[in-house]
Amino acid sequence: MPDSPRSLDEPKGFSRRSFIKTVGVSATVSTLSGIAEAAAIEHERAEETPVLGPGPVPIRFTVNGKAAQVKVEPSTTLLEALRLHLNMTGSKLICDRGSCGGCSVIIDGKIMNACMTLAIDAMGAKITTVEGLAKDGQLDPVQVSFVRHDALQCGYCTPGFVVATRVLLNDIPKPTLDQIKHALGGNICRCGTYTNIFNAALEASGQSPIMDQKGVTA
Amino acid sequence: MKIDTAPTLNGTSSIPFDMPTTNRPMNLGQSMNDNASRLDGIAKVTGAAKYSSDMLLPGAVFIRFVRCPFGAANLESVDDSAARKVPGVLDIDIQMKECQYNGQPVGHVVGDSPAAAARALAALKLTWKRLPVKTLITDSITKAPEPTEETKKLMAGAALSHDAVYSTPVQTHSSLEPHGGVVDHKGDKATVYASTQGTFSVRDGMGDVLGLKASEFEVICEYVGGGFGSKLGGPGKELTLAAKISKKLNRPAYLVCNRAEEHLDTGNRPSSRTVIRLAFEKDGTITGGEIRTFGGVGVAGGGGGVAIPSGRYNLGNVDKKHEDVKFNAGGPRPFRAPGHPQATFAEELMLDEIAAKAGINPLELRRKLFKDDVYKEMLEVGSKLIGWKDRKANGSQTSVMRTGFGIGAGGWGSASPGGNAEVVIHQDGSVESRTGTQDIGTGQRTTMAICTADSIGIPLSLVTVQIGRSTLPPGPGSGGSVTSPTTAPTMMAAAADAKAKLFEVLAKEAGANAADFSVKDGAVLRGGKQFLTWKDACSKLTADGVKGSASTGDGGKGASQGVQFVRIDVDTETGVIYPRHVIAIQSCGRVICRKTAESQIIGGVIQGLSFGLFENRILDRNVGAMVNPNFEFYKILGPNDMPHIEPVLWWHGQTGVKALGEPPSVPTAAALGCALFNAIGRPVRHMPLTPDKVLMAWEGAVA
Repeated sequence: MPDSPRSLDEPKGFSRRSFIKTVGVSATVSTLSGIAEAAAIEHERAEETPVLGPGPVPIRFTVNGKAAQVKVEPSTTLLEALRLHLNMTGSKLICDRGSCGGCSVIIDGKIMNACMTLAIDAMGAKITTVEGLAKDGQLDPVQVSFVRHDALQCGYCTPGFVVATRVLLNDIPKPTLDQIKHALGGNICRCGTYTNIFNAALEASGQSPIMDQKGVTA
Repeated sequence: MKIDTAPTLNGTSSIPFDMPTTNRPMNLGQSMNDNASRLDGIAKVTGAAKYSSDMLLPGAVFIRFVRCPFGAANLESVDDSAARKVPGVLDIDIQMKECQYNGQPVGHVVGDSPAAAARALAALKLTWKRLPVKTLITDSITKAPEPTEETKKLMAGAALSHDAVYSTPVQTHSSLEPHGGVVDHKGDKATVYASTQGTFSVRDGMGDVLGLKASEFEVICEYVGGGFGSKLGGPGKELTLAAKISKKLNRPAYLVCNRAEEHLDTGNRPSSRTVIRLAFEKDGTITGGEIRTFGGVGVAGGGGGVAIPSGRYNLGNVDKKHEDVKFNAGGPRPFRAPGHPQATFAEELMLDEIAAKAGINPLELRRKLFKDDVYKEMLEVGSKLIGWKDRKANGSQTSVMRTGFGIGAGGWGSASPGGNAEVVIHQDGSVESRTGTQDIGTGQRTTMAICTADSIGIPLSLVTVQIGRSTLPPGPGSGGSVTSPTTAPTMMAAAADAKAKLFEVLAKEAGANAADFSVKDGAVLRGGKQFLTWKDACSKLTADGVKGSASTGDGGKGASQGVQFVRIDVDTETGVIYPRHVIAIQSCGRVICRKTAESQIIGGVIQGLSFGLFENRILDRNVGAMVNPNFEFYKILGPNDMPHIEPVLWWHGQTGVKALGEPPSVPTAAALGCALFNAIGRPVRHMPLTPDKVLMAWEGAVA
């Protein structure tokens, strides 16, 4: 198995091509009709790049500030690499097709579904999972607000929502309620904690929670 | 006031237990604890909480069911030669049989990784002969049954009458943590990590499969990722198979369903069809009639009941008959208030249609028909909060966006099957509450701590809780909203017992009567005067501390009631419904933890909205396979669909802890249906209330 340092340190140019390579270049050419030229270039590049897979290949990335390495097949998702190979089970496997947000992680500053990302595509990336949000023993303000506003019930969707809220506040420090709803729109909670999640996001960004109507007492 | 702090994260950071939130001023009654946050909150927001599906043990094998891809088919041949050659495959077993629903298991494959099991599954060559399928209630019940002669006579002689059919689709539980878990059989002992609503029902169902006595294995479910009724009733086929494989291969066996399997074969809320024929007078007085209900139970023998008439309204003399209808689909399991949301949809929309025919405001009609004064009081409060005075007459608006208001009511009887609890007061002043009952997200862990702290009179920070283990004192399954009504009084009694034992120790040492002692605000008093701090008092104990225990038996606790108001906007060009505001008033007896109680209500409303607007298990009518076994096309209400929801805890001098889990999910979809009728002037009697149905009704309205 080739284990070239060049390919390991070159995440961007490496991932897609090598993955396609593992599936088989001929299959790629036959399915992507009308791009024979691109396929030829692809083939040429594949010639120069060491073949990785289909067996396990070493993949290095940074998870929560620490260097991590897994040896997995190129078809392994980042979520499986985290859960099964690094035993970081905070990110959850719920829908396995990017429709619930339960596996949300931060890859190089962007929120991604770990179930829809191949581990090999995250090669060399800086990954933050829910386990990495608390720093030096201090909870992230988002986490404190989630607890205070009871923005969780069974808690299975919670890591995804916490991560998504963190990314939102990184991008928009004081989001409106509509911006919060939009940013969390890729996440699903079955217990029904959205109201409290909105309040937690508002509070964590230094804003007032949604107020109830006043003037009538039960 | 001393800040009560939660257990620390890595020993350095702490967040206060005492975390007031000020945004719900309407809940003016007194809960046992207004400000406490969930005890397991930190574990859940940091990813530290280990669910059964997170138990990826070293050396584990991974199991997948082999399932029928059609609604009905005969498995005619199996070629597993390629599957057996897949690297990492450890076991394949397939039974030739005739299947009656999509997702029915015919066997399993086992691999040493999830990928190996998945590849083996893909490499199996199975030949199926498809059989004819039925997929809906209406495949068997092709038209509404004829009314009885008596009903015909009643309707003919009445001033007004109502004759209509209502229906609701199959709703799947869609717990985010799938069914299953991990079994680690070690020969003479075993550990079962179960995702269950009944720790002790799993224990009772596991012994034979494991070949062990109950004392030789432990069932653990520290955290459960939702259940809503579908994880009741023992180990289920998932843990049963995992136990067999773990025993056979002598390795930990991991079996957790995927999302498609969850939709197909882990229960659902059965579909319903309700035929209503009622006679009524011009003032809205309902004289009676008949109601025929049908429950779509798939391949199950029953469980499709539709709880109409609910008994909340005076409907005169109603002749009710129910029939369960079978077809080719996975069977139902209890789902948060079984039989109620679907029945309430029919009942409430029927009332609004009757009100419209009689020319009465729906609020007025309910004032007249409610039997119980509690509901009437809730009507008055809720109608003010939602702004009912702004409601326009049905179908009277002319703008593209039209506003609608709706009302729904729900009730739930509380019960207590009995349970056991222990409380240990340690020498260092810490207190441990122990009961085996699980926390499925309701807040059981937190309420047990609050009950203990409140019963003894100490700060919450001194209490730790052990739950979700079969080796702890047995408690009830989390079904029927019985958990808190059972475990709260039991835990309080156990705490009182432990406190009494502490007083005996203090009395002996001080040469006093145990009855002279009391605890207030974390200090021990003697004769009403400060005697010792709590810590100093506990230091008089031996290293074992003192253990209090309590058991409670069966008991009813009376009913919980709720009324909800919904305001929506409807876009008459697209048919899209936008829920804007929900007022959810709910009685539940004494509130233990305000925040988790509010969360139960908000969650019930959200599930009700999701049921009313989106959810629908759709089966292909030709092959009987589910066409939307996922979360893209089986739509669940998401953040973007959210209205403003206000939970109102109704604390009118009620004592005792009553049901809260189920009742708030009952009225919402019904109130939504009523609001739509109000907005567009035509009823949509068949859920989910999707844009196509809204537009069809709308075109009828303007035609």
